[in-house]
Amino acid sequence: RTALSTAPPPEKKRWLRAYLEVQRLQAPPQRRSEKPNWDYHAEIQAFSHRLQENFALDLLKTAFVNPCYIESEEAKRRELGLDKDAVALQLQDNTRLGDQGLRFARAYLAQCFEGAYPALPAKGVEALVNFLTSQELVSYVAQNLSVQDLALCRDFPVPPDVLQRTFLAVIGALLESSGPERTGIFVRDFFIPQLIGKDLFEIWEVVNPMGLLLEELTKRNISAPEPRITRQLGVSTVLPLYFVGLYCDKKILAEGPGETLLAAEEEAARVALRKLYGYTENRRPWDYSKPKQALAAEKAISSN
Amino acid sequence: RYVRQLQRLQLLFSPTAADARGARQFVEEAAQDFARQHPDVVLYVSPHSGPGPAPVLRAEYLNGTVREELIASKTSEEIVQLATKLANQSGLDIIRIRKPFHTDNPSVQGQWHPLTNKPSILTVQGPRWQPQ
Repeated sequence: RTALSTAPPPEKKRWLRAYLEVQRLQAPPQRRSEKPNWDYHAEIQAFSHRLQENFALDLLKTAFVNPCYIESEEAKRRELGLDKDAVALQLQDNTRLGDQGLRFARAYLAQCFEGAYPALPAKGVEALVNFLTSQELVSYVAQNLSVQDLALCRDFPVPPDVLQRTFLAVIGALLESSGPERTGIFVRDFFIPQLIGKDLFEIWEVVNPMGLLLEELTKRNISAPEPRITRQLGVSTVLPLYFVGLYCDKKILAEGPGETLLAAEEEAARVALRKLYGYTENRRPWDYSKPKQALAAEKAISSN
Repeated sequence: RYVRQLQRLQLLFSPTAADARGARQFVEEAAQDFARQHPDVVLYVSPHSGPGPAPVLRAEYLNGTVREELIASKTSEEIVQLATKLANQSGLDIIRIRKPFHTDNPSVQGQWHPLTNKPSILTVQGPRWQPQ
């Protein structure tokens, strides 16, 4: 028998229990704030301690308030027949903080990538930043940080774009309370690990890798690549495998496999681009240590 | 950075039942220290009066799993140990580990495929073709 701690007291009639269990399982999901044992202020304090950041609590509380919540509350109050002064809520919503957070996150991530991969063109950096601030990723991160319990919203379960806006508003609140350095470290710690295991061309859609490769090589004054078949297996079967190598001035640039010759050449161009931009699988992992400027500042302050 | 996966602990016990004595002692002595040492876990203490279900410690994690542990007839120190154990766990299901080993880099020089150690077409020597 399962332990029912706060469920309704177990029915004495045996033949009712199965029906009540089915009713309990089919009930629509409820917000955590409507279930017993919920203290909003304590939860917000625990949230800021969990992320190891000092938030200004009132800024954080405004970051969780969504415009749809304010509208639904005002509609409820109007239905109850209150005066117009009482209808208007005293709450600010999180659109301003959300925009601030989004702008800061995009600028900081773009700066990070330009510093780490200087050869990557602007379109590539933009594609990476768009992927990291996309709805699915941000709502996934927010859900696993319990933002969906604390966010005040009209619908439940919270839709992903509301989660994205709330999390970016949290970043904006952190920016206003702790300054850009700490917020930068926060963004780095939570967004950049989502790139682990991902390939550059999964994130950045490139239609013509050969053309892009030709542009890159002309920028570096290297002659056009010459494709040659390096290895081939099973040419006359249903599943042939060709390895096409790209040679510049008879020196190998990259080699890529493929089912047909054209597919192999395109894959070789992609491998060459990955090598040129420095986004291979065996690159140095991201540096998550404390920033050196902060350490230098601390040393300067402690020595004085 | 490290984010503690335990969100909140709910301590449900009865103020009169005999098997909840350890829970009552925990609440009187050790609950405040535990809450101070773990500021990112919210501790709810809810006594329900009268004869009710067994005393239970319910842990909710960030990924949504809810784990209930019976604390009937346990001493206060055992409950503290149990609470710290729950606080250091993640919310993943507790299942049998299939293998006691795991590597992120299963191959150092590259995994073998049928074309390793085979010379490429460009350097294959035929009866008449000479490499330049």
